[in-house]
Amino acid sequence: MSWAFLWLAAFIVAFAAFILISLAIAVRGVGEIRELFAALEDERRRKAS
Amino acid sequence: MSAAAVVSRFSLLDAAIAAASLAVTLWIGVRVKRYIGTIEDYLVASRGMGLYVGAASLLSTEVGIITYMYQAQFGFVAGFSAFVVGLITLAVCLVVGRTGFVITRLREMKILTVPEYFEKRYGRGVRVLAGVLMAFGGSLNLGIFPIIEARFLAIVTGIPARYLGWTMAGLLLVALAYTAIGGMVSLIVTNYVQYVFLAAGTVIVTLVCLREVGWGDMVRTVDGHMGGHGFNPVRDLGVGFIVWQVLLWIALMTVWQSVAMRTFSTKDPAVGKKMFTLTGFLFLGRALIPMLWGIAALAFFWARAEPVGTAATPSAQVEQLAAGLDKTYRGDIDSGRLGRALPQVDLLERLAGQEKSRSPEAARLEALSRDRRGEIGLLAMPWMLAATLPTGLLGLVVAGMLAASISTYAGYFLGWASIIAQDVVAPVLRRDLSNHSRLLLTRVTVVALTVFIMIWSLVYDLPGPAYFYLQVTANLFMAPTLIAVVGGLYWRRSSATGAALCFVLGALASLGYLVPQLRLDVATAGNLSWALAVAGFVLGSLLVPPAEQRREAAA
Repeated sequence: MSWAFLWLAAFIVAFAAFILISLAIAVRGVGEIRELFAALEDERRRKAS
Repeated sequence: MSAAAVVSRFSLLDAAIAAASLAVTLWIGVRVKRYIGTIEDYLVASRGMGLYVGAASLLSTEVGIITYMYQAQFGFVAGFSAFVVGLITLAVCLVVGRTGFVITRLREMKILTVPEYFEKRYGRGVRVLAGVLMAFGGSLNLGIFPIIEARFLAIVTGIPARYLGWTMAGLLLVALAYTAIGGMVSLIVTNYVQYVFLAAGTVIVTLVCLREVGWGDMVRTVDGHMGGHGFNPVRDLGVGFIVWQVLLWIALMTVWQSVAMRTFSTKDPAVGKKMFTLTGFLFLGRALIPMLWGIAALAFFWARAEPVGTAATPSAQVEQLAAGLDKTYRGDIDSGRLGRALPQVDLLERLAGQEKSRSPEAARLEALSRDRRGEIGLLAMPWMLAATLPTGLLGLVVAGMLAASISTYAGYFLGWASIIAQDVVAPVLRRDLSNHSRLLLTRVTVVALTVFIMIWSLVYDLPGPAYFYLQVTANLFMAPTLIAVVGGLYWRRSSATGAALCFVLGALASLGYLVPQLRLDVATAGNLSWALAVAGFVLGSLLVPPAEQRREAAA
């Protein structure tokens, strides 16, 4: 296998993974941020009471 | 084709898109202030960060305009050989993610900063020493960000140079505002939004590069101008460089403060491990994608190269090229005429290299040409984007780059400020600070750090490629930090004396590159730093064992 082929394969993996994981982050991230806010709000109420 | 000056098509529409993205980020960042009550909320978001948001936060912090510029520069000067760094990063992330090497133990201790571990293991003195070195190296590292990023923005947006200082000050203030107010909670939420902009900008630029240049032309250009060196990393960069990169990336992924803070912020150690596995592939893209942009810029400008005049003898041509470049180089660089500057610099470097054994002046010209090639490499990618991106798309890309940059500033402000406040100032005061005082101290440090990097950015001259400077300033404390953490976790005999020697010797070796008079090359300085740090740690620990072992031996 030539170096040029190795770098082409590596780039394809890198670019495809970047797109797929970015899409997963965009979709799943919203729910995780809501969870984080809910947890912080609970913590705030608990400390206040 | 003649090398005409490049004029950016950045318009009011683009400016509106970029400004809207900044406004959204600032609004979101400031709104979360009500969740901040304690220093734990502020520095590690009460350890409530999930997997996907964690990965977005980690990548947003570790990708700024500067990251894309130095990676593109590395691709421009080293060709495809530079890709090896991306593979190393992926391998390190996967190993750390699978094994939990260092990160799991540190996460289980519920610490806020890495030096905090040193106090638990070695005592307060080592914590402060590590904190000082981290604050020093981290601030130097961050200190060149604004000036390099300002050049990117000036080229891509066409903003006149006289407004650049104000532009960068504005960006820093946006990052400062929400970091100082909302800490890690602001960072996590804004990082998510910024990641979406950043990812969109990254994909757009990559598609533009592939459309404008194409993979085949990139391969042919690298082959034509670098030969085998542009493909084979062992021939081009050397084994020493590769070994150093492996060690450095292990350290960066485990104990680099902004990365470690994300580990400390995860819900539990298992989420931390998964985050690294997921982020490994993003880090592969963080390296390879902008490196490809650099290679695309190389092919783009070689395709627009102007013919270079000839002279009767090589030495006459060296003189002719040097005189010509003295007149035209700066103007060409500032107006995007890289198709004229690049072939002249390239030829002068080669001819001066052949003549240097006969003339010290040729040796000077070869070194000057190498520096100029580095500068062209740094600016070629933004000039290519300015030349090729249409209105509208340009605004989206600038929005993505600004998001990348501000998230990096914010993440680093918080990372280094937390070290200065928690590990240097607070321990030196030698009294327990209230939650309110610790929060105030960290916020004041964030402001002071912002002022410092604005000043440093204006006064410091880079000794070589930005990539090397950034890695060596990181190496200043990364080698000793990783060795002292690993030794502390896994070697019972490790002592405070060993840790202190490890930090002092490891830092001294890295200074060998940063102080130009010492003339250490980057790989030598990097590897020497690791070797001396290990030697200092082992010798110090053997000669002066930990106090309890000394007591046991005496009994």
